[in-house]
Amino acid sequence: MCTNRHYNSVMAALTFGCFITTAFKDRSIPVDIHVSKVMIKNVDDFTGPRERSDLGFVTFDISANLQPIFDWNVKELFLYLTAEYSTKSNALNQVVLWDKIVLRGDNTKLNLRDVKSKYFFFDDGNGLRSNKNITLTLSWNVVPNAGILPLVMGSGHKSLAFPESYETAKSY
Amino acid sequence: MLSAFKSIPTHMDYKGQKLAEQIFQGVILLSAVIGFIYGFTIQQFGWTVYIMLAGFTISCLLTLPPWPVYRKNPLNWQPAMPETSGENRDKPQEIQKKKKHK
Repeated sequence: MCTNRHYNSVMAALTFGCFITTAFKDRSIPVDIHVSKVMIKNVDDFTGPRERSDLGFVTFDISANLQPIFDWNVKELFLYLTAEYSTKSNALNQVVLWDKIVLRGDNTKLNLRDVKSKYFFFDDGNGLRSNKNITLTLSWNVVPNAGILPLVMGSGHKSLAFPESYETAKSY
Repeated sequence: MLSAFKSIPTHMDYKGQKLAEQIFQGVILLSAVIGFIYGFTIQQFGWTVYIMLAGFTISCLLTLPPWPVYRKNPLNWQPAMPETSGENRDKPQEIQKKKKHK
């Protein structure tokens, strides 16, 4: 059936058109991050080579308006919150604390309060205690209908410091 | 009832086939342009796909069945030649000759 081949090539051209109208867009938006609670423990880390490692606990607020990112070539966003810092043993550490999938059609106004981290904030060692500069940033992976999946960092970050001493026997 | 089915035409002539091809290509291109503009305006590629599928359905309905408009230029066949009696006699004689040689 000749109609099938013709339809297929026209559909492919339209999909390329969809891609080319959005290929060079800047998908970054401003993001507001606040931190309400910071705590640290030194616990058994069964995944690491040493006896005990630092485990950080951060409670944060995120607010951002994701609406400008969603165009006709965006299917969903994969958001993730990264903590970046350096220690005596490692120059650069990046730990993902939390993530969220936002589909096209979902509520795009992000206004989350008192969020606890989804994933354990383990350090490779004991470098979190008294660490003065931990930077939290929100980034996202844009999943398109057609084209590249870029990783975009939001503009706006929050620096926090961990306390000098460990918490003991306190529930989180 | 079977004779009613057998009398449904199932062919197009050559000019009709060319017309059918032009029609379906035109309908699909038109729905592509409309779909692209509408989808871009409301920023939803899903609508571009829906409009394309609608255009595909319309072009199938217009060009797949052999509508009468595609049978307007039938081929002019020559009239059939009548068979002569001479041809009938030749064949049995050939068979007899072959048997004698064996």
